[in-house]
Amino acid sequence: MHPRDEPTKPIRVRRHSGGFGTGNSGQLALLPAPEQQPSGDPEPVSGRALWMAVWLPHLALDALAQTGSSRTEPLIVVEDDSRPRVHDGNRAARRAGVGPGMALADALAVLNAPAVFDYRPELMHSHLETLSTILLQFSDHVCPEPEQHRILLEIGRSLRLFRGLEALCRQVRETLRRLGYSPCIGVAGTPAAARLLAGLRNSPRPVDHHALRQMLSPLPLTTLPLSEIAIDALRDVGLNRIGDLLRFPRADLALRYGSALPKLLDRLLGHAPETLPRFQPPEHPSFRLEFDQEVASSEALRFPLRRLLLQMEQALYARHRTVQHLELLLTHREDRTAMTLERSHPGHRAEAWLELWSIRLSRQVLPAPVRSMRLTATRLLPVRETAADLFGSSRDATERNGFLARIRARLGNNAVLRFEPTLHPLPEWAQIEQPMEATGPDAAPVVTPAQRAPGTALWIHPPKPCPPPASPEWLGRLEGGWWLDGNDQRRDYAHAHDRRGRLRWIFKDLRSGQWHIQGFWG
Amino acid sequence: MGALEQLLNHPGLWRGRGIGTQENISVRPSGFAPLDEALRGGWPRGRLIELIGGPFGCGETRILLPMLADCAAENLRVVLVSPPAVPWIPGWQQLGVPPEQILLIRTEHVDDAVWSCEQVLRHPGIGAVLVWLQQPGIASLRRLRLAAVAGESCAFLFRPSAAAAQPSPAHLRIRWQGAQNHLRLEIFKNTGGWPARNTPVHIPVEFGIRHAPPR
Repeated sequence: MHPRDEPTKPIRVRRHSGGFGTGNSGQLALLPAPEQQPSGDPEPVSGRALWMAVWLPHLALDALAQTGSSRTEPLIVVEDDSRPRVHDGNRAARRAGVGPGMALADALAVLNAPAVFDYRPELMHSHLETLSTILLQFSDHVCPEPEQHRILLEIGRSLRLFRGLEALCRQVRETLRRLGYSPCIGVAGTPAAARLLAGLRNSPRPVDHHALRQMLSPLPLTTLPLSEIAIDALRDVGLNRIGDLLRFPRADLALRYGSALPKLLDRLLGHAPETLPRFQPPEHPSFRLEFDQEVASSEALRFPLRRLLLQMEQALYARHRTVQHLELLLTHREDRTAMTLERSHPGHRAEAWLELWSIRLSRQVLPAPVRSMRLTATRLLPVRETAADLFGSSRDATERNGFLARIRARLGNNAVLRFEPTLHPLPEWAQIEQPMEATGPDAAPVVTPAQRAPGTALWIHPPKPCPPPASPEWLGRLEGGWWLDGNDQRRDYAHAHDRRGRLRWIFKDLRSGQWHIQGFWG
Repeated sequence: MGALEQLLNHPGLWRGRGIGTQENISVRPSGFAPLDEALRGGWPRGRLIELIGGPFGCGETRILLPMLADCAAENLRVVLVSPPAVPWIPGWQQLGVPPEQILLIRTEHVDDAVWSCEQVLRHPGIGAVLVWLQQPGIASLRRLRLAAVAGESCAFLFRPSAAAAQPSPAHLRIRWQGAQNHLRLEIFKNTGGWPARNTPVHIPVEFGIRHAPPR
């Protein structure tokens, strides 16, 4: 067998079609190298660099599930380039035999009235960007590859912080799963190998060069991001496994199959460097969800909002920031509804925010069905470092005020009141009602001697004239206010039982001799 | 002997041990010895306590003040939900409850009041919740009971006299009546405690007075 007549043709970049089958065929794609550097001497890379590839094979389905529409009937996502074909299908569709790459007409013949959605690349890109923002918590070097639904992270420097490779992988996976995505993770010393391993089931995690080579060698060529034609060409000369290629002299490979193939191999093993751009997160984290069906009730917004809040939580966590204020924008067919929510104290926990938002939403009348929603954090606050306080008082204060935010969200700001003492001697002016704020009064409140004179009554109301009591128990005398025009008061305080058995708090105005009721003794 | 031990330790056999001693329930001393004795230690925490009687202002709030002062001393809040009057803070403060520990929640509907109580009761950092409800439905009372059990605070529900005749899921139901200088308390339901006693407890309500006769 001799190679076909295309050895000098560069390896075609295969358009990523999903690759959701059980096999390993064509799960990876090779990006065309933008820079044409000659494959010179193998350059050793630092053994410390470690790359993680997070591949989202079912991103299109995950994105649909975000809006809360979970379906058990067949659902297919259709992409439409030259001819419409299936991009991905849910479990029911796959069970019926519909897989990626199948023509839409064939799929419709097999499935009984499936739900059909358009594949929208720009939506996938925004999801990838959201996830990149979130993955910044695990590494400072994050590089999304939107076309392949893949994100690469440099994790060599994060291992110690996250207590080892296994723990880190588990955390990445858990984080993404909690947000409703289903990731495949590959870890290797080079980005190219990590990409390849992400496509394998139960892939090992070679950390050094030797292990990587050993691991790659038995893999079939189909795991390489090569076109079928190129793979056929290699098979024709008897090269079936990656190991066969690795043993082959690079120069000969380049001569026969173009320079891209040896470059790929060098990048796999780390002999050739591969520089990846760094992802820069947007200044204000803002997450958007578009519904495939309009949502008419505010109750139904809860589930998608939870998704957004979870994303926000992770994004804030990644930046080590927190928020006190969130904005939610609901887009209707014609207009939009803007809502804001401010809390008594900053925080980023999604569950806490969700509770407040649910209360807020339940009291919101939607003018029209909602088509999409966007959650934005405009003011990012630094996380207040809670020093190891012996009595945990600062944490306590935050904990203690959590329920207040809920009550205020439902009943309004003026429903929850605290009292601030003044130093005024007259009981009716001795206190001010104030809406409960996060910070309580700091000044140590004191009771002035004048305020002690009227006794320790518990309840107060404005003075009302009353007939003289039968047997008052005297409490004390209050004189004052002569320096204020018209406020000259001389009162003798007492408490007395009234006819209904109540213990009233009363005083006798010494100027007029008139008795007044001021409140209740207890 | 072994057989007897085995029998006595059988989980299906209930020997009435532990009845009346509310071992598993923590209490807050009420500050009045006769009341503590009647309540087996004090006001139970994590229980819904109904104080039934009227009219407002006979001293039924005052008898709680020693307990509330204890809460405040532990840096726990006292929450008043829809009271019929405004608290006079210097009075509370002189009795040991500083202003920053007092929280007043005003509500317009019974539902809002019950909901607020639920939020407050389930929250740590709250010592006691005092709520005044005129005619709560049985569902509201159940909700309050559940919320009270979920938390650690003392939950007091003040209801008018007529409520004594109605059944209620509250753990502890006490009827009070204003007498001359006293409050007469009658415990007529105490879940998990001794059978209700018929002898009422008398609590003085005029404490905190410093007599200073007018010249």
